[in-house]
Amino acid sequence: MNDIFKYRAPTSRAELFGLLAAHGEGAKILAGGTDLLVDIRSGLVRPELVINLKKVEDFSDLTWSQSEGLTIGPATTVNDLLHDAKVRDCYPLLADCALTIASHQLRNRATVIGNIVHASPGADMAPGLLCLGARVQIASQRGRREVPLKNFFTGVKRTVLRHDEIVEAIIVPPGTAWSRGSYRKLKRIDGHDLALVSVAVTNKDGAVRVGIGSAAPIPLLIEGLTDQDPADTVVAAARDVIRPISDLRCSKEYREYMIEVFVRRSLEEVR
Amino acid sequence: MWMSVEVNGHIYEREVTEHWTLLRFLREDLELTGTKDGCSAGECGACTVMLNGQAVNACMVLAAEVDGATVETIEAEAANGELSEIQAAFARNYGVQCGYCTAGMVMSVRELLRHNPKPTVAEIKEGIEGNLCRCTGYQQIIEAVLDVSGQVTNETKGGLKYV
Repeated sequence: MNDIFKYRAPTSRAELFGLLAAHGEGAKILAGGTDLLVDIRSGLVRPELVINLKKVEDFSDLTWSQSEGLTIGPATTVNDLLHDAKVRDCYPLLADCALTIASHQLRNRATVIGNIVHASPGADMAPGLLCLGARVQIASQRGRREVPLKNFFTGVKRTVLRHDEIVEAIIVPPGTAWSRGSYRKLKRIDGHDLALVSVAVTNKDGAVRVGIGSAAPIPLLIEGLTDQDPADTVVAAARDVIRPISDLRCSKEYREYMIEVFVRRSLEEVR
Repeated sequence: MWMSVEVNGHIYEREVTEHWTLLRFLREDLELTGTKDGCSAGECGACTVMLNGQAVNACMVLAAEVDGATVETIEAEAANGELSEIQAAFARNYGVQCGYCTAGMVMSVRELLRHNPKPTVAEIKEGIEGNLCRCTGYQQIIEAVLDVSGQVTNETKGGLKYV
């Protein structure tokens, strides 16, 4: 790491929010570090201060309750989620998404919230969390606010998050627990790779939702479908919203084609 | 920052450069150069070490983050001049050629076997998917893992079956 920055590890929310408010854009949050340290090394971000939030004691962990649903905390790693018995029981789709992220070593560090906050169009946790109706709890010195995940992303690696704010929790409501779900991720190789496209489909009591990654500047959600809709209707709804690009990983046309294939296959699986 | 960390059973208390990675700290401050720097971006797994008992990429962790933690590196694998069972299986099965990936590979295999003492070939491939090897084509490494987990027979050995 050639760039010089200061490091702090606050132990309380208040201390963390104070640091963020004081340093503004110059401060960057370090959770898993698997995106931040790569970005610092490549010169994409040049923070003056890196704030490790894993020592904050008054954050929530990964918890589940019948009334609140699933709460994912700032330090919850992808492997924590993947191996959690409640997640596997109530939201197995999330475990399926989590397993496709990077490699085992990286999943031991990378956080679920980090995957969302980094706001890559291909974020592996996004399609599943969108389908399950996740909400994002945002906090700062000024207080708390909550936005639905579908309104959280604003562009490639851009979100509604302000410089003094952090995501304190992602909440998956109890209403979507035990949805039938299916996640498909297209990669160039069997090993770890970013998604060329990814598609999640859920069916909860007949209501069908489709989440799509790497198909537009932000991860997409299609709502308002039912399991009575013919596959062609669902595919047409997907075609309406996707805006894939050609890049070094594959062409726009291939993405369009595979999204259609994945939507049809996953839909069949959740009917 | 002043910090205290346990590495391979020894407690080190010292000033750490705040923007250094754990990898650089291990190699340059503690002179534990068995852990290798491959890509510095979490892609190759050459720098895999155990942090509080979990395999991580040392290039993806800041040294300052391990304050109070326990770290194990490849240097802790052999004891009293004897290779560990995993290391011996790598040697026996020709799972080492240039050796650059080996330290990280051994760490990942140790983590895999801790969770899963008799992994299938598919599970072995998944367990080492974060570790790149450009020499062996993985065949001999997979055989080494089958061997150390007591699953090698004349039928499963050799012949590029697992690639």
